[in-house]
Formats: sequence, C-alpha cells, structure tokens
Amino acid sequence: MLQRSSMGSIALAAVVWMTSAAAQAFDESKYPDWSGQWRRTSGIQWDASKRLGRAQQAPLTPEYQAIFEASLADQAAGGQGNDPTYKCIPAGMPRIMTVVFPMEIIISPKTTYILFDYSTPRRIYTDGRSWPKDLDLQPTFLGYSIGKWVDEDRDGRYGALEVETRGMKGPRSFEASGIPLHQDNQTVVKERITLDNANRDVLLNDITTIDNALTRPWTVTKKYRREHNPIWYQNDCSEDNHHVTIGNENYFLSADGDLMPAKKDQPAPDLKYFKQSRK
Amino acid sequence: MRNSIGSFALAAAMIAAAVGAQAFDQTKYPDWSGQWRRPSGVGNQWDTSRPPRQGQAPLTPEYQAIYEANLKDQAAGGQGTDPTYICIPDGMPRAMNVIFPMEIIIQPIVTHVMIEYLSMLRRIYTDGRDWPENVEPSFMGYSIGKWLDEGGRGRYDVLQVETRNLKGPRSFDASGIPLHADNQTVVKERIYVDKADPNILHDEVTTIDNALTRPWTVTKNYHRERNPVWVEAICAEGNQHVRIGNENYMLSADGYLMPAKKGQAPPDLRYFDRTRK
Repeated sequence: MLQRSSMGSIALAAVVWMTSAAAQAFDESKYPDWSGQWRRTSGIQWDASKRLGRAQQAPLTPEYQAIFEASLADQAAGGQGNDPTYKCIPAGMPRIMTVVFPMEIIISPKTTYILFDYSTPRRIYTDGRSWPKDLDLQPTFLGYSIGKWVDEDRDGRYGALEVETRGMKGPRSFEASGIPLHQDNQTVVKERITLDNANRDVLLNDITTIDNALTRPWTVTKKYRREHNPIWYQNDCSEDNHHVTIGNENYFLSADGDLMPAKKDQPAPDLKYFKQSRK
Repeated sequence: MRNSIGSFALAAAMIAAAVGAQAFDQTKYPDWSGQWRRPSGVGNQWDTSRPPRQGQAPLTPEYQAIYEANLKDQAAGGQGTDPTYICIPDGMPRAMNVIFPMEIIIQPIVTHVMIEYLSMLRRIYTDGRDWPENVEPSFMGYSIGKWLDEGGRGRYDVLQVETRNLKGPRSFDASGIPLHADNQTVVKERIYVDKADPNILHDEVTTIDNALTRPWTVTKNYHRERNPVWVEAICAEGNQHVRIGNENYMLSADGYLMPAKKGQAPPDLRYFDRTRK
C-alpha cells in the first residue's frame, strides 16, 4: 500500500513536472523546422513561372489593365510607372514575399515572425485572436496577419501555416513592372506555407491575392531555398538611392551628384522658391 | 517493486531528456517579451540623463571641432553630421535610443532585437561563435552575446553583448555627436530587467570609439507594453528632405524644391541644359 502510494506520488510528481515544463517551455517538436535563411529561387517577378511584366497575364480588370499599360509606357520612357519602391517605400504585401533579399522565419507559439533584411518584420499572430476593430484606421504596407497552424497528416506536428492578411495601405504593386493593386487598398492575401515533401530545404508559399483590381483571386506559388549557414547582409534602400522625387516627377542623381533627367526631354524642376528666397 | 519504480524513473528521465532535446527551455531565459518603448518625456538624445544637446560627449579636440561645426550648420538649417535625415539607419549604438518601439526574441542561438524602423534588425549570436572573417560591415554591426546568471538562480538574467564591424556615417543622436570616420567603433552592452520592476529594461551601453577620449557609458531605460500595437514607421514615406550632391534641400508642401538654409544656392541643373541642346 505504502509502495503503491509512493509510486502514485512519483507518477503524479512526474506528470506535474512534465505539465509544468510543457507550460513554460516552447515545444519545438510540435512545429516544423523552418530555421535558417530562405532565398528566392527565381527572379523578382510575381508569378515565378512567367516573365516579368505583360507575360504575367495578371487577371486585371479593364480599368486596371489600362493603368498597367500606362505604367509600362511610362517605364519604357524612363519613368517608374506604378512601381512605388524606387523611392524606398516598402514593397508591402503581397510583394514582400517575392523575397528579393533573404528572409528568416522565427516560430513561437503566439506569433510567427518573418524577418527581412530590408524591411520591418511581418508578425503572423497564431494565438487565435480576431481582427482588430480599428484595422482600417492604421493600415500598413505589410498589413495585419492572422495565422493558423495545420497538422494535415495528423502526425502530431504542424505541417502548414495558413495566413490571412488584411489592413494594408498603398501604393503597392505586385512587381517592378508595376502590375497594380487597387487604390482602395481592400486587398486580402491568403497564404499557405509548407515545406516541400520531397525536399525539406525548399519552402513553398501558395499565395492568393484577392483585390478589386483583379477579375478573380490570383494564386501563385513562391519557392524558397534554405541556406543552413547563412550570412546576412543589411540592405538599406536609402543608402545609395539615385532616384529623387520632386512633386510628381522622378529625377536621377548623376554619379557626380547633380540632378539629371530620368526621361528624354524631361523639364528641369521649377525652382520658384529659390527665386523667392533671393528677393 | 523496486524495479518498477526504477523503470518508471528511467522512463521519466528519458521523456525529460527527449523534451529537453527538442524543446527550447524558456525557463532558463528571462522574460523580455512584449514591446519596449523609451520612457515618455525622453527624447532621442544619447545621454538621457541630460536634456537634448546638453550632453557632455568626451570627444577628442578634432571631433569636438567637427561637432561644433555641425551644430552651426544645424542652426543655419542644415543637418550637420546627422545622416539619418535621408533615411539612413541609425546604426549602432544610436539604434538603442529606440525611437520607435523594440521587440526582443530570445532563442538559444541568437537573440533578435527588432526595432520598428527601416531595416534596424539586430542579431545577437549567443552560440559561442568567434568574430567572423570577411563579413561586410553594416550600420547595425555584428553582435556576439553571452548570457549570465548573476543572481545565481539558475536562470539567465543579463545579456552581455559586444558589437563590432560597423560602417558609417553614424552619429550618437540627432544633434550630430559624431563617431569616428574610421568606423572602428566597439559597443559593449549589459541588458537586464530592473530588479524592482520587471517592466523596465536597462541597457548599459559603453561606446569605445576613436572620436572619444575615453569609453562613454550611458544607461538606456525602456518600459514594457504587454499588449502592444505595432505601427509601421517608414522614413521614406513623406520625407521632405532631398539630398542633391552635398546639399540638403527641402520639398515644399506643394511639391517644389526649396532651400533648407537661408541664401542657399539652387542645385546645378547643367544636365538639363545639355538634354535641351
């Protein structure tokens, strides 16, 4: 009896200890191993299976197709069209997931962080929260992301992270060619992030963008390759940015630091305030 | 019976070992979760114990002269030796002014310090590595840290950090207190939670730099917000500063280039004249 009681106490103590450890420790074994550095496996186009620009066959509404065509014409003339990132505005969602520069993913029970070396981080909340009521009051380029871990094969370990992102602001475009998102910024982005079953050093992200510039949800799959022993390079857009925006015009800084036209026959900026200051 | 108990103990030990091998034991590390903000009323001056522009940086005579020239330029409408007006990151050690809030993620190998501004992400490696060779310098530098259990309670309570491999231009704060152009700065930090108030984090930051006559130590304090709202701070969005050549100009509200200083000459537009030929 005494022995049975002792055994019970030991068992209870073990269970309490394990429960306590579980409560305090982050059980990594429940989550996939997405550590390391993830690099893109293709160019900087949105749909990696197609070339940049018109070849993307973005399902744009006629109105936004016309905006896109005007952007392409402006870019052909030396302008930047609808691509706002030339003045170091963040790519925002969903474009940031092209991962022009490498990314790191940190998984914690309540939040999964996606870190980029040229942007503020994405926080994907997986604590079961609802959308904040004031989501539209403080929109951001990266938006607000809520995620859910899924264990589809029921092996006791999550295999996929499903994410929905809302609350974005603009201007944003899908890629450098200037494929536009709608000015109303009502974009919703849905992602499903998983490791490739055939190669655990490949991460897949199925991204579906729902936007009023599109005639239908647009789904692309992004693929990233893992680097286990990464070197991180900080990329600071403003450090050597030669674009200068004055009013609605984009100019360029020459190698010797002087202002120069970005387009053929572009007029010089109006210096009327300098005239006034000389009075 | 003894055997049964022994078997159970062995099983428990095996489970514990398995948990230990797979899990990150947070109980070994301090709880620095949440959002850390500089205290209200504290500006962006480096030495927060003194009002802005009244700090007493131990500058060498050469760098004191550079600092004085900078103050004069700023008084005339220039930016002096503060490079951040064109959205260059604060870099180390200035990033620890934490102008915009900070989050700290502790993992066994690396502690991430994320400051919600530009690409101001710090990785502090605590895996015992040595300084790397052939790594490009950066504004945030390369940081190696060591966890200490100074209280002897079986839980780390201090993160000691050394940061090297920095690049410039950097200044200590917006007043333009300069760091040396050779970028040989070494920054040593001791980060810990206040013993009396777990919602206050301290960072004792010692800067060793050839612009200084001695190591300069200041203590930064941050307040914890447990239910944070994160707001994106995008420097380039709405930045009215325009740098052309070595001159800083401003953009007017109606989008025209305007002088930042009294009597400032307009930019040279010779490239426009050439295209008109």
